[in-house]
Amino acid sequence: MGIYDFTVKTNKGEEKSLADYKGKVLLIVNTASKCGFTPQFKELQDLYMEYKDKGLEILGFPCNQFAGQEPGTNSEVQEFCRLNYGVTFQIFEKGDVRGETAQPLFKYLTQEKKFEGFDKSHPIAAKLTEALQANFPEYLEGDGIKWNFTKFLIDREGNVIKRFEPTTNPSDIKADIEALL
Amino acid sequence: MVKVYSIHNCPWCDKVKKYLKSKNVEFAEHNIEDNSADADACYKLTGDTAVPVITADDKEYVLGFDKAKLDVLLGL
Repeated sequence: MGIYDFTVKTNKGEEKSLADYKGKVLLIVNTASKCGFTPQFKELQDLYMEYKDKGLEILGFPCNQFAGQEPGTNSEVQEFCRLNYGVTFQIFEKGDVRGETAQPLFKYLTQEKKFEGFDKSHPIAAKLTEALQANFPEYLEGDGIKWNFTKFLIDREGNVIKRFEPTTNPSDIKADIEALL
Repeated sequence: MVKVYSIHNCPWCDKVKKYLKSKNVEFAEHNIEDNSADADACYKLTGDTAVPVITADDKEYVLGFDKAKLDVLLGL
């Protein structure tokens, strides 16, 4: 079973085989809602604009399994939503990414690349750990997706190369992307 | 006629509509997810794809559910 064996649904409900992305470098991300304070959307879009012509595709999978958007950002409540999440890369149908109900793609990705801890130097790391301990202590166990904006980097042959936790900003993985392009 | 640019599943859009109704403001809803001409018009007005956007004259607008600014814009 490899990445190209999975079929997912676009946000318009159409089936899409990941085999259609053969030969591309992929960044697969579980994203948050279109109505929250989610700065990683903007950085992902910036990455996409910079590298799409060189063969990068970003695949976003919205998920409601995490209560908030980004812990500790209540003071920056944003009272609007964005058309298509404010991005031009592909957004797929909303679905679960962890636990029994997780989409098969995410079960596969999290088996291929295990959880190796948060980057504790990232500004949200402490708050994120606190929020998880308070609301979803079981999420801290095992290799499942911990929060919105977990990113998996796939090479042109479909190998899952690296996993980045929400505590790695998209702008900080440019070198890893460039190495595969 | 006041225009409200919106998308589906947008709680802030719903709040704006409810607020306008409560103030007896007549408005036309333009869903920019469903209609690309509306999306273009909204983008032209605001330079962004964020909604709700409320405008009465296609020049001045309010982005988001901001009661204070809406009151000023619409003279409520």
